[in-house]
Formats: sequence, C-alpha cells, structure tokens
Amino acid sequence: MPTLTSSSTSSLGDVLGLYSQRQEWSDVTPLPQYEEANPAAPIFYSEEYKDATDYFRGIVRTGEKSQRVLELTETIIRLNPAHYSAWQYRYETLLAINAPLDVELKLMDELAVSFLKTYQVWHHRRLLLTITRNPAPELAFIAASLKVDAKNYHTWSYRQWLLAFFNDDDLWAGELDFVDAMLAQDVRNNSAWHHRFFVVFQSGLREGETDRGRVIRRELTYVKQNISLVASNPSAWNYLRGILDANHLPYTRVEEFVKPYAASTQDTSTTDLVDLENPPPPRGAELPCAPAIEFLADIFEKEGGKDGVRKASELWRSLADEYDKIRKKYWEYRIREALQTVQE
Amino acid sequence: MTTANPNPPTPRPTPTDGFPTATSQTQAETEAILLKHIPQAGADAPVLAKSSHMQFLVRNLVQGFPARYMSQDASQPWLLFWTIQAFSILQVGLDPGNKQRVIDKTMAAQHPDGGFGGGPRQAAHLLPTYAAVCTLAIVGRSGPGGGWDQIDREKMYKFFMSLKQPDGSFLVAHHAEVDVRGIYCLLVTATLLDLLTPELVAGTASFIASCQTYEGGFSSSSQSYYTTDNVLLSTPRPPLGEAHGGYTFCALASWVLLHPFMEVEKDKPTIDARNLLRWLVNMQGTEIELGGFKGRTNKLVDGCYSWWCGGAFSLLEAFGVGGSREHIPSSTSEGEWDDADDSLFNRKALQEYILLAGQHPAGGLRDKPPKNSDAYHTLYCLSGLSAAQHHIFLSSARRDAILDAWVANPAASPDLADDIRKHVFADSLSWTEEEGGSLIVGGKDNRVNATHPVFNLTITHTEGLMSYFYKQTLPPRVKASSNS
Repeated sequence: MPTLTSSSTSSLGDVLGLYSQRQEWSDVTPLPQYEEANPAAPIFYSEEYKDATDYFRGIVRTGEKSQRVLELTETIIRLNPAHYSAWQYRYETLLAINAPLDVELKLMDELAVSFLKTYQVWHHRRLLLTITRNPAPELAFIAASLKVDAKNYHTWSYRQWLLAFFNDDDLWAGELDFVDAMLAQDVRNNSAWHHRFFVVFQSGLREGETDRGRVIRRELTYVKQNISLVASNPSAWNYLRGILDANHLPYTRVEEFVKPYAASTQDTSTTDLVDLENPPPPRGAELPCAPAIEFLADIFEKEGGKDGVRKASELWRSLADEYDKIRKKYWEYRIREALQTVQE
Repeated sequence: MTTANPNPPTPRPTPTDGFPTATSQTQAETEAILLKHIPQAGADAPVLAKSSHMQFLVRNLVQGFPARYMSQDASQPWLLFWTIQAFSILQVGLDPGNKQRVIDKTMAAQHPDGGFGGGPRQAAHLLPTYAAVCTLAIVGRSGPGGGWDQIDREKMYKFFMSLKQPDGSFLVAHHAEVDVRGIYCLLVTATLLDLLTPELVAGTASFIASCQTYEGGFSSSSQSYYTTDNVLLSTPRPPLGEAHGGYTFCALASWVLLHPFMEVEKDKPTIDARNLLRWLVNMQGTEIELGGFKGRTNKLVDGCYSWWCGGAFSLLEAFGVGGSREHIPSSTSEGEWDDADDSLFNRKALQEYILLAGQHPAGGLRDKPPKNSDAYHTLYCLSGLSAAQHHIFLSSARRDAILDAWVANPAASPDLADDIRKHVFADSLSWTEEEGGSLIVGGKDNRVNATHPVFNLTITHTEGLMSYFYKQTLPPRVKASSNS
C-alpha cells in the first residue's frame, strides 16, 4: 500500500516553497480568482492552495503545456482532488508533451487510494487505460482498493467499465471467484451482488456461460444458499428477484424455498434433512422475514383470481400492520391495486 | 391489539440472523446512535430550528466558508445554490445588495466558450452550469447586471452539443465522465432557458432507460456497444454501478423532462416503474432508523436522500404511479393525518428523521448524528422536508390553462419543434401544490416552502425564469381543489 498521504503532500510544498517564491516560475503571471475584493460566500483558502491555483489560472490563460504544468496540477490535485479543471488540463498536457503514461499510472496508484471517493481519480485512470490498453493488472489494483472501501461506487463502476470496455475473456474469467471472495467477507455487500448480476446477466455471453439453463440453476442455488446463511438480507432477495425477472421465470419456481422464511416459526422437524434445492432458514434467523412475506405475496398476486388476491392481501396486511410498518402506505397501495384487478 | 403505553416500545433492530458482518455492524452502531434521538412519550413536538439554520446560512454567505470547503473550490456555484435555495425553502428572500453579490459571483464562473465552471477560469462543466442557472433563477433578473441576459445561451447550446455521445448520453465536461447527474443538470438548464431541441436530446431517453438496474433504481451510467459500422446495439447495454438514490432521482427527473420528446424517439424506450417504486419504498429506513432514507440497499440512512429518494415520489406520480389526488376532497387541516394521505412513502417518519436526527444543534442540517452540518446536507434535508410536507402534483387543469394562454413566436413557423417547446413549457409549469394536502409534523411553525419536484426551485422562481425565457405570460393560478 502506498505510504504517501496528504500530510506528506504538504511537505512537497514545504521543501520547494510557494510557486510565487520559485525562480523557475517567475515568468508566469499569477492570476487571482476574483477581481472584486469581497465576493459573496468566499472560501478561506490556505496560502499554499491560493498560490498554486493563482499560477494555474495564469497557465490556463497562456495555454502553456509543459512538464512543469504536470507538477503544478499535481500540487493542486493533492490539495483538492475534486479540481476537475486541473485534471482536465493535466490530461491535455500529458498528451501534448507525449509524457510516459506508465509513470502517470504509478502516480495514480497512489492517488486513487488517498482520494478514493473522488470521481476524477477513477476517471483519469480510465482515460489512461483507454490509451495504454493494458487492463489485466487493473483487476488486482481494484481488488486492493476495495479492501479499503468495499462499497466504493467509483471503484466498482470502474471495474465494470474495464470488463465491459475491453471485453476480454481472460479478464472475465476470474470474476465469479472474485464476487465469491467479496461476499465471503460480507454477504450484505450490495455492490458485490450487483457486480455478480452484471457479470452473469448483463454483459453478453461468454465461453462456458452459454448453457443458460445451467447458469440459471447455478445462480438460484447460489442465492438460496446465501439466503439460508442470512435470511433478512435485502441484497440477496433482490438478486433472487433479478434472476427470475431477467429470465422471465415465474416466482412460483422458488415457492417451496421461500415458504419456510415467511413462516413465524422454524419447522425443526425437517432441519436434519439436507435439501439442496430448498436450504432452510439459518438456526439463528429472526422469522418471519419480511422480504419472504413480500415474495410469497407476489406469487399469490400473480396466481390471480379472488383467492390469490385474498391470500396476497393477507400477507400485505401482515406487513403493513406488523412486520414492516414503516411501509404501511405502500402495502395498502398494493392491496388496493390488486383488489381492482378482481373487481373489474 | 394496541394498548396505550406510556412509552412506545423500543423499535426493533434490523435483524442480523445471528450472522454479523461489516454491514450489520455499522448498521447496529448507527441504530444505537439514532435510538437516542427518539423522544420519550410526552415530549414536546419536534421543532425546526429555523433561526439557527438561518444563522448558519447567513454566516456562510456573508462571512464565508471555513477552509475545509476548499474541497468545494470546483463547486462554487453549488455552494451558492445550496445556500440560496435553502433560504428560499425557509421562506426567506435576500436583500438587493446580497442578491447582486451572488449574481456577480455566479456570472464570474461563466466560461467564455459557453456553460459555467466551478469558479472563474475553471473549465465549463454541466454540474455547476445547473447550479449557476438555478441560482440566477432565484436572485437574478433581466437587464444589465441582472445575470439573465448575460447568460450566453447560444454558446451554452454549443457547449452542450460538444459533450454529446453517440449513445445519447453526455460527458459532464470535456474529457470527463458520463453520468446521469450531468444529464439531469443539462436537461434542467436547457428546459429553463428554452434550449431544449430534438437534436439535443436524441437518444437520451434510451440511455436513461439503460441505467435502470435489476433492483429497480438507477445507476450512474451504462456501457454501450456498437456494430462494426457504428450502429448502437440495443443489447447488451449494462448499467455501470448499482442502483443509487442520487442517480435515481436524476434519471427519473430526466425521464420526466424528456416526456414531450418520447413521441419522436425512435425506439420508444421504457422503464419499469413498478420495480422502481418497490426499490424506492425500500430505501426508507425502519422505525429504529427514524424513517430516514438510504441511498443503496444495505447502506446507512443519510439526510440528503430525504430529497433524492423522498423527492422522487412526486416524479413517479407523474406517470400515474401512486395516483394523483387531484380529485380527493381536501378537508384536512394541517397537523391532522387522515386517509386522504395516500402517498406511498411514510411522510411523517421522514419528517421525524430530519427534525430529530438531521438538525445539528449548532445550526445547519446533516447526514446523520454525530456528524457536522454542511451546505449540501442543509439544502437536501430541507428540500426533503419540503417534499414530505407538501403534495405537489402535475395538474391537468393548470396545463390546459397554460397551453390555452401560449403565444406562438410569430417569427417561428408552427412546426414540430415549436409544438414541443410549448409542451415543455406547460409540463414544467403545471406542477401544483394540492390545497389542504400538507401534512406538517410539529405544527405550522415547522412549515417550509414547497419546491418544484424536478428543478428544486420554488414554483414562483421557476415561473419567473421560464416565462421570461419563453416570452410567455402565465395565466393566474386558481386554487387547486376538488372543485377546480
């Protein structure tokens, strides 16, 4: 892991001093931000930041693209990684002076970890990769970043972009194992569930994935086993719905699996039997589990007819009044909507 | 089976099923903190500390922002918008001197080649462009120095077109990323300033639709594929990133703004509104989370999603999901809850989250306790509070009145584009507050202004700016009740 942090950044400025005090920058005219002395809602900038951005505005005015611009933009980025204009100008400069992009990527390895939550570090990386076209080492880098922040939105979307953009079988090959490892760390990590869906269902067919019947069975088994580990995990329930919806399969396909999760008490008589198709709720589960009640209600609603709607409405009513009261309005809406279908 | 307890029972913690992970641990820590903010039985009704929030906003506007806001140096129009729009929601206007200072600072961020940047001499970017134009809607005016006539609309349009991608999306700035926040910001700006054209938005609705994930919410972006002769493939078009509250609001509001163009879109894109509704209602936290909203499945509640998620319900209603209450008799008086409230989220609980957990004791609003308040969360908590207090719907009566009063530009031929223009104008301005539809936790002193569900401006500010740029005079509003 890179050891440089933002605190060591300021030492760079300490050693070299402000741009206004450096001989090699004396040919640049710094440009203050505002003409008027007293703009509304000013930000109290540090001296170092004000100095660097004054010189940056001076550079933008002349349009200079040179090695020293890389230094200046790096200073600004380290002080404020969300300064998108500094990033944009840096990118144009890299191209203009034909700078070695492997050096730039090394710097990015460090900055990405320091400034994980900014859009720009990830996007700049993406621009570089589009040119270097060497995506393979990126997967390990991303995995390391996710160790620091397992749900970082930019990191996950960067990984998905990398896979989709280069669309290389070798890149895709390890993704299911990767998701397994992430979910083994935290089965509630919704970013990892979404990544699995992206890999399996949304990015085209790959070698070994063409037998869709087999893939669907594999995914159903996978998600059921995870629900039987943690019953009240909305990420896993959403994934289960996602599999069925994406493949136009009826929810009844998993009715037997779902029922014990919607029951108030665990049926202990059957827990010694191992049914791989229908793994039971975990021993410590708090039942009934609201997503299971909702799922069962959806099955009954689809069944239709007065009886189906009645059974679904009873379940919705139990959610509204007892198991998921915060969403009372929504469950009552579902009841009204369903009743309309049988009244017509 | 309810009995009158002196104290309500402690709300049930989120089940862990005896299997703790990092997610359930941070969840439990958050619940322990939030639990302390649940008032005892008999406690006074929660109060919106308007004057301390005002002091927070005035301090930021007049004295300035502390050094930690250096990270927002590339978002200066946002700092202004968050502050100024928070004033509007608190029903406070600025004096002419401060208005002028805000106009001048905003205009200093306009880029010579069109659009606005994060500050003077910063590159033009879609996000600060939205913030700048909306700020000018609130404090600006026509004439010299007023901002409105100094916006270079022609160059702005060229800037927008220069960001356009073959899949209908837009870069947020040159060499920058694509995401639906940028599209929302572009569409709002173009709608307000009468810059929306079929050329500008061709393919954009399909791009938005492609960002909906299996969970029902929307992601930041999607990946497109093309045939060897550069024809966009309709599949695969995978979303990049999981369903997220901020992106979902931007996608849904964009969808609403694109509505007048759907007829001319080639491939008639669709979204799954039922699945979206299901995802949205599930973003509301339970009683132990005080009914605040989260932004993603299995993440923590955060005050800003009061607007991004809580505010999205009015938008859904525009597609008939949830049903407008235009015809429901409005007999409710404020502070009372009755069956006429058929909104699909828990409006009362959301207000409680904002009032009990969202307010920082020293002024300003926040993500969650014990965090500090900041300009961003102050606006989006207040906007969310507004969305939970008021019921704003698309009034067909108002739309008809606006369409009737429309004066065609004599210079323009009555072509398709002008007809769309007319509908963009009418659709944008027919959002109407339902009389008697307010539900205000803590009583009428907690009331804040209603805000436009798409733009997050007050209806008055939206009307002022749009009627100026479309050169229209709006018919007077009649009260929206069951008799109208």
